[in-house]
Amino acid sequence: MTEPQKHQITDKDGNATKDRPWIFRTYAGHTNVRKSNELYRNNLAKGQTGLSIAFDLATQCGYSSDEDIAKPEIGKVGVPINTLDDFAILFDNIDIAEVNTSMTINGTSMWLLSLYVALAEERGVPIEKLQGTTQNDLIKEFLARGTYVFPPEESIKLIVDMYEFCLTNVPKWNPSNVCSYHLQEAGATPVKELAYSLVTAITVLDAIKERNCFDEEEFERCVGRVSFFVNAGMRFIEEMCKMRAFTQLWDEICIERYKVKNPKFRRFRYGIQVNSLGLTEEQPENNAWRILIETLGVTLSRDARCRALQLPAWNEALSLPRPWDQQWSLRLQQILAYETDLLEYPDLFDGSPVIESKVNDLKEQANAEIQKIMDAGGGVEAIKNGYMKSQLVVSQAERMSKINSGEHIVVGKNRWTDGIESPLVRDSDGGVFKVDPESAAETVSALEATKAKRDDAKVAECLKTLRETAIKGDNMMLASIACAKARVTTGEWTATLRDVYGEYRPPTGVEGQSLSIENETLDTVREKVKTFMDTRGHRPRIVVGKPGLDGHSNGAEMISVAARHAGFDVIYFGIRLSATDIVQSAIEEDVDVIGISLLSGSHNEIMDQLFEELDSEGAKGKIPVVLGGIIPQADAEALKEKGVSAIFTPKDYDLMEVMNRIMDIILANDSE
Amino acid sequence: MQTNPLDEKRLQQLTQAANLKKLPLAKLISLFENRSEKATQERHDIIHHITNNPKTFTGKGVTIGFTGTPGAGKSSLIAELCKTLTQNNDLRIAVLAIDPSSQKSGGAILGDRTRMHSGSKNKNLFFRSQASNLELGGITHNTFQATRLLRYLFDLIIIETVGIGQNEIDIQYMSDHTFLMMQPLAGDQIQFMKAGIMEIPDSFIVNKCDEERLARTSYHMLRASLKQSKLIVLNAKDSFENAAKDNIFLTSATKHKGIQELAGFIRSIQRNDQSKNKKPKDIENFYLQKTIQELYGKFGLDILSQEQEALKQLTGYEEKMTFATTAIEQRILER
Repeated sequence: MTEPQKHQITDKDGNATKDRPWIFRTYAGHTNVRKSNELYRNNLAKGQTGLSIAFDLATQCGYSSDEDIAKPEIGKVGVPINTLDDFAILFDNIDIAEVNTSMTINGTSMWLLSLYVALAEERGVPIEKLQGTTQNDLIKEFLARGTYVFPPEESIKLIVDMYEFCLTNVPKWNPSNVCSYHLQEAGATPVKELAYSLVTAITVLDAIKERNCFDEEEFERCVGRVSFFVNAGMRFIEEMCKMRAFTQLWDEICIERYKVKNPKFRRFRYGIQVNSLGLTEEQPENNAWRILIETLGVTLSRDARCRALQLPAWNEALSLPRPWDQQWSLRLQQILAYETDLLEYPDLFDGSPVIESKVNDLKEQANAEIQKIMDAGGGVEAIKNGYMKSQLVVSQAERMSKINSGEHIVVGKNRWTDGIESPLVRDSDGGVFKVDPESAAETVSALEATKAKRDDAKVAECLKTLRETAIKGDNMMLASIACAKARVTTGEWTATLRDVYGEYRPPTGVEGQSLSIENETLDTVREKVKTFMDTRGHRPRIVVGKPGLDGHSNGAEMISVAARHAGFDVIYFGIRLSATDIVQSAIEEDVDVIGISLLSGSHNEIMDQLFEELDSEGAKGKIPVVLGGIIPQADAEALKEKGVSAIFTPKDYDLMEVMNRIMDIILANDSE
Repeated sequence: MQTNPLDEKRLQQLTQAANLKKLPLAKLISLFENRSEKATQERHDIIHHITNNPKTFTGKGVTIGFTGTPGAGKSSLIAELCKTLTQNNDLRIAVLAIDPSSQKSGGAILGDRTRMHSGSKNKNLFFRSQASNLELGGITHNTFQATRLLRYLFDLIIIETVGIGQNEIDIQYMSDHTFLMMQPLAGDQIQFMKAGIMEIPDSFIVNKCDEERLARTSYHMLRASLKQSKLIVLNAKDSFENAAKDNIFLTSATKHKGIQELAGFIRSIQRNDQSKNKKPKDIENFYLQKTIQELYGKFGLDILSQEQEALKQLTGYEEKMTFATTAIEQRILER
C-alpha cells in the first residue's frame, strides 16, 4: 500500500478512491396517473433509483380535477391526484418499500403523505420502510411559489404534525425540505437566500421544540431529517461560496440553537436545481452553457457538493421541456461525473484565502439578516408583515433595472443580440411540449368512478373526524390517513381544513416599490401618459393579475411596479384568481387595460374563459387585454385572434418598452 | 350654471346603474372622478336628475369610514364585514379603498383587492380602488365625488383610508360614522393615541385580537386611555363584556371574532346622525373650501367668504364650484 497523497481521496482502508456521484434526478410527472406511471417505470428500468414527482397545480393547491378552477390545469405541470385509487395506478408495479420518492408538494403535503401511507398499508408494506421527501416548505410558498393553502400558523402546525408522526412511524421520511431554490428565482441575492431559508428551518424546528413531543435524542434525529433544496446561478464562484457558507451556518445553528451533539445530524444535506431565472428566450442554445456553468458551482467543492442534482432544460424560457430536452440536461451530469476527474480529489478550495474571506463575508451578512428577522418576531411574523416578500421584490426590481440599463450583461439579451438562428428551435413540433386534452377526461372519469363506488357514509364520517380533530388542534395525520382509505378526494380534504383554518393571502410586497429606470423610453411613456390624462381626464388604469393556480408572480409584480413607475394607477390583484375575479374587477375599476400573467402552459384554456366572461358582461372588445408569460410562438397567433392585444414573453425584458406598447394600445382604444 | 336634461344614453346608463349593473355603474363613478370641464357639467345634470327622481334612486347612503395605521388589518376586516353584511341580501354595499400615489411618478399601486379578494358577481357588493392622487389637489377629492353618486345607489358606503396623512382627518367630514382601527395595544401606542388622531373617531376597533386574553388587555388599556383624555363619552362600566357600549370593538378578522357584533352595530348607524351633540356635516362646503384653498390659497378663501350670500342662492356642488372659481378668476384678472 502506497502512502496516500494530499490530492487523493482514500477509503476506510487507506486506499486511493473516488467519490460516488451525486444522485441524478429528473423532475417528472404529467398528463395523468397512467402516463406518469409508464414514465416512472421506464426511468426506474434504466437504473434510476429515486422518483421526483411533479403534481399538477390543482393537486398542489388542494382542488379535485372536477372543480372549475382545476379544469384548465389538469395534468399540465405534473400529475393530477384525486384519490387513493389514483395513487394505486401511479405506483402500479413500483415497489414502494424500495424506491425513494420525492414529492414536490407543499400546501397539501400532509394529504399526499397520507395517501402514500394508506397505499402502503393497503398493499401490506410496513410503513417504516417508506422513504422519501415531501417538500412542504410553506414559507417559500408565501414568498415565491404561491401554492400555499392555509394561513402561516396552521401551515407550520401541519408540518410539525408530520414530523411528530414520521419520526416514530415513518422514520426514513423527510417530512419537509427547506427551499432556497424558489427564493433565488424570486430575486433573492445569495445573502437573502441564505438568511431566509435558514429562518425557515429555524421556524419549523422552533415550532417542533415548542410542541415538546420529542425527548433529546429524538429531537436530534428530527434535526437530522431537515434537508435543503437550493439554487445556483451564473456567478458560480459566489454560489460555491454560498454553499460553503450554508454548510457552516447550519452546523453552527444546530450546535448553538439546538444543541445537537451528533455531527451526523448536523450535516447540511441538500439537493440542487440550478437557476432558470438567468436562462434566456433569446438565443436559447446559449442556455446549455449557462446550465453547465451553474452546475460547476455546486459540484466543484467537495465539502459543499450537492447530494442530488436536477437541471433545467435549455428551452425552459420557451415552453415546458420535452423528454429529449430533459435527456440533454441529464447527459451533462453524466459527462461531468463520469468523463472528468472531478470526483477523484478532496476539496479543492480548502485553505484558499480568497474563498475563505468570501464565505465569511456571506456568513456575516446572512447572520445579521437572520438576527434582524428573529428580533422582529421570527419567520411567521416576517411573512405576515410582508418584510421578506418586499425584500425579494426589491432585489428583483434592482436586477431588472440593471439588465435594462446594460449594467448587468446577459449575452444574447442585452449584448451581442445579433446571431444566426438556432436550428434547434426549428424542430417539427415547434419545440413545444403539449398535453393531450383527452387525457384530462380520463382523470375526471376515474374520479367519478371512485366517487360512485365509495361508501358515502364512511366518507362523511371520516371528514367529520377530520374537522373535529382540526378544531381541537390535535395531530391530523391519523384522521387524514383514514380519509385517504375511505377515498376522500384531494378537494374534499382541503376544503374541510380550509373551512376550519381559513384561507390566507400573504402581503404582495409590491406596494411602495420603485424602479431605478430613468431613460428615454420612460420619458416617452410618461409623455403618453400625460397626453392620455389631458384627453381622458384620469390616469391610465390597469388591473394586473394571475388567473388560474400558477403562483409564480415575479412577472406580474415587475409589470405592476413598472406601470406605477410610468404613472399608471395599478390595481394589483395578485395570484390564484378565476376569470370571473379578474373580469369583475376590471369592470368595477373601469380599467383601461387588463394585464394577465401566465406561466403554467394553460393560457389557451384560461384566455377562453376570460373572453367568455368579458363577453357575458358586454365588455369584450371594450377593454384591451395584454398577456405576459411563457407563451410559445405557435400559440401566439391563435391568442391574438381570440382578442389578445399584445403578448409579452421573457425576451421583452425592457419594462419601459413593454409599458410603451401598452400605452399605445390604450391610446388607440376609444371605445366607451 | 345651466341644467340640461340627460340624453337617452346617459339616462339608460343611470337606470342600469340604479339596478347596480356593474359596467355602467363603474363608468359613472369614473365620470364623477373625471377632472374635465365637460364632466363637471354632466355631474351637475346627473345629480339634478337623481334628486328629482327619488323613487328610482333608493340608496340609504350611510357612509362609514375606516381609518388607522397600515398593518391594523383594515382590508381584511372590511372583507369579513362585507361577507357578513351581504349574507341576507338586504343591503347594497359599496367599498372605496384608497391607496397612496407615488410622489415621483404620480402612479399608484392599489393592492386592496388582493387582501379582500374582491371581484364577485354579487350585485349588492361593489368594490372600487382609488389612488390618493397627490398632485391633483384634494387628497380625497375623488372619494368625495364618488360618494356623492354612490349615496343614492347604495345603502352603505364603506371608505377605507390610506392610513397615513391628511385624509385621516378628512374622513370624519365625509362619513356618518368613523372607526379608528388599531392593533392590540402596546405601551408606545398609547402615546401615539394621545397625539390627536384620537379626536377623529366615533368608535374604536382593536383588530387582530386572535385570543380573548389579548382582547381583554386591549380593551382595558384603551378604555383607561380614553377615560384619561376624556375624548369620548364612556357609557359602560369598565367591563369587557360591555365594550361595545363604550364604542370599543374587539375583533379578529382571521379568527372571525367580533365580526357579527360589529356588523350589527354598523346596521344600526343612521345617515346624518345628529345625536350625541354632533354638528351636522356640510361635506360639500368642506370640499368647496378645501379645493378653493388648494387652487387659490388664502386669496381664494377670502373671496369665497365674501361671496357667501351669493353662494347660498345656489344648490349643487358643481354650481357653487363653478361660481366660486369664476368669481376668483375674475378678481385675479382685475388685480
